[in-house]
Amino acid sequence: MITTSSKLFYGLGAGSLVASIVWFIANDGGSIGSVALLFAAMSLVFLGAIASFTRDGHVLSTDTASHASSGAAQRGVRNSIWPLGTAIAMGFVVVGLISSPGIFKVGIGLLIAMLGEWMIQNWSERGSSDAAYNTKIRDYVVHPLELPVGGALLLAVIVLSFSRIMLSLSHSAGPLVFAVAGAVILAFGTLVGFRRSVSTRVIGAICGVALTALAGVGVATALDGERPELTKAAEEDHFAHRPCGEEEEEADENASQSVSAKSSVQATVILEGGMLYAEVDGFEGAQQSITLQRSNPSTILFINRDAEPHRMVVKYGKVVEDLGGGVERETELEACTSKVEQDGQQAVTLTVPKPSYASEEPFEITVPGVEGTKIDLVVP
Amino acid sequence: MNKSPRRRIMAAVGLMAGLVFLAGCAKDAPQDTWQPAGPNAEQIDNLQQPVFLVAGIVGIIVFLAVAFVVIRYRDRGQSIPEQTHGKPALEVTLTVIPVLILIGVAIPTAGTIFDLAKTDDTEMVINVTGQQWWWEYDYPSTGANAESYGVVDPIVTSGQLVIPENTKVLLRVTSRDVIHSYWIPKLNGKKDGVPGRVHLLRLEGSKPGIYAGQCTEFCGLSHAYMRMETVVLNRADFDAWVANQLKPYESPAEGTLAAEGESLFIQQCSRCHQVNGLTNADGAPIIAAPEQYMVSGAAPNLTHLMTRNTFAGAAWDLLTPECRDDVWNANTEEFGARYLAGVSAECLNQKDLREWLRNAPEKKPMYADPTKLQATDGKYRGMPALGLTEDQIDALVAYLLERK
Ligand code: HEC
Ligand SMILES: [Cu+2]
Repeated sequence: MITTSSKLFYGLGAGSLVASIVWFIANDGGSIGSVALLFAAMSLVFLGAIASFTRDGHVLSTDTASHASSGAAQRGVRNSIWPLGTAIAMGFVVVGLISSPGIFKVGIGLLIAMLGEWMIQNWSERGSSDAAYNTKIRDYVVHPLELPVGGALLLAVIVLSFSRIMLSLSHSAGPLVFAVAGAVILAFGTLVGFRRSVSTRVIGAICGVALTALAGVGVATALDGERPELTKAAEEDHFAHRPCGEEEEEADENASQSVSAKSSVQATVILEGGMLYAEVDGFEGAQQSITLQRSNPSTILFINRDAEPHRMVVKYGKVVEDLGGGVERETELEACTSKVEQDGQQAVTLTVPKPSYASEEPFEITVPGVEGTKIDLVVP
Repeated sequence: MNKSPRRRIMAAVGLMAGLVFLAGCAKDAPQDTWQPAGPNAEQIDNLQQPVFLVAGIVGIIVFLAVAFVVIRYRDRGQSIPEQTHGKPALEVTLTVIPVLILIGVAIPTAGTIFDLAKTDDTEMVINVTGQQWWWEYDYPSTGANAESYGVVDPIVTSGQLVIPENTKVLLRVTSRDVIHSYWIPKLNGKKDGVPGRVHLLRLEGSKPGIYAGQCTEFCGLSHAYMRMETVVLNRADFDAWVANQLKPYESPAEGTLAAEGESLFIQQCSRCHQVNGLTNADGAPIIAAPEQYMVSGAAPNLTHLMTRNTFAGAAWDLLTPECRDDVWNANTEEFGARYLAGVSAECLNQKDLREWLRNAPEKKPMYADPTKLQATDGKYRGMPALGLTEDQIDALVAYLLERK
């Protein structure tokens, strides 16, 4: 029997079948599209058949007993926010279409999620005539997806907000806020742990307020921008290249004075009493020459024992690039630390492409402003 | 005869166990930790023998106890015995005994670990650099290396590490690409070569000979072909080896096949392989540029290729099997002279070397397939196939034979 809703499915199925054939002809036997449409046709006809079989799930008007107990007559599982969510997602899609692909992609993702939730909720509401059972089957289906995704989103909000806050705080306030935040969380956890009687509602409310505040401040600081040193350093490209001269540079100002990975370096270069020397594992005493393998990322640690701040500079030849048309560009290869204060330390990692004997200029380690002392770099 | 499945499994397990047991009796086992050939390996052996004994006795006791319980109390349909919980005296005893055993094992273990980490008695330093899939060795020309061992210029070699007998050598192990691990079982334990880090490994051989090992950290496609050998020479032979490594380059005589090979080498090979002293027609030294062609930025230095007797990560011999036996099985007195003789024209393992030059990636899989180079910015992970003709290979082999 062809019922009202099965007509829709049969009609769509027939349409898909025709479209599949048209596609096949129009695309010179191009198969992917027509196969997809053919599958759509088959699925739609299948749905139509189910609708026919169940007579559209209609309850006969004469069967009054069923009017209140049938699945379709039950209250919804819970208030559905999915239509609202879908509308917002659509908004994202539209705004994304005219502004940026990122927003569009977020919109599409959101749209799929909202429609999926909506669909599953609808399905579960027709599951049985028992509302509690319907809620249960809905949760069975979506919790395995909702909980991890929700958890990940929550974590992302926390991490992102907190990192934005840390990036905008000043150099000295950062550690303080970090320590205080950690202490507060620990104290709160301990308190809750000892006072079992606190209701989950209260805890939930406190966490909710904290999260909202965190996200709010996070957004505010993100809009406000990172702390001045960072923006300045990025603008001046300090991260990529630092001038290796004697003068103090902007980037030297707040430079870190300690290195965490001190072990297993190729060599430790020390400036003491105006003299440079190196300590190299395996070699006894102060060295005036370091051997580094060619093409090997090598870390050299610099320690300054003198009162004045100094930087270590490693010079390791130059590269000549052929720019075409007989034009060549020469780049001096050098690497340096920022200024290291007394008893501070810094490391430099470099990869030497060519052997030292192939270069006219010497490969050496020096400290600008400290004359008459150097360490030779041998690269076999 | 129809055996029950249980019997068959028992038989299979028994056979396997027997094979494993027999493998322990292998006579020619070049990578056997139980046959130490130097003080570091001996120290490890001296530790592991008693620990193995203790562990073995404990193991046997446990096995016997399990077997006893399994057989004595097997299910014969009896009722489940009374279930008890807790027996403090027994529990304390069974905790204290293992603790005491472990402490007994820990004390000498800790001592050995510290001894093997000592570096203040070093007599020679060698940099060991792993890359896919071969090891490079370079001898810095500073400190004791230069003062006591005549290494007045750096020496760079690969595959076979040559060290003087009864000398405390310190290897500075690192890597140019992924993590590798250096292990010569008869001389010491293993040490990982980690990119960006320098790890120290003591090595000392007390008897001239060749000691084999292989990379023991899975490092990619041809990990199994990443082998290495340490060659221990007596002091006089080692000095001769050093002197030879520092000998200036000699061009082949004009008009010879080798001279033809030299110009081919300059065209085809010197962009990756350094041969110290090789010059252009205008006399300018040729500096290889492996950093442009290799993921690791390195290719073996071939200046003295024929003084080593293996190639390509010590995976193949440069010597024919007979000549190889002559070197490997030589007695202690003769070994050095035979090793120093290097590879002669008669002894050269033409087959493997030619196959290598014909198509290296076919011999040692290494993603050197030119169609798959996008992933690595057009750089190779091994030696590519260069499409050489047989005549060109003849000339190159003649040239390489003179690299002694
Ligand atoms: C693109 C760079 C490249 C070129 C060009 C090249 N090779 Fe190689 N070659 C290598 C690399 C890398 C290895 C080490 C491979 C390994 O062991 O896995 C190697 C290994 C070798 C070895 C073994 C060396 C040893 O000590 O183990 C020989 C011999 C050799 N090449 C000869 C040649 C010759 C002859 C040519 C010229 C016809 C040539 N190669 C061209 C990269 C190159
Ligand atoms: Cu390896």
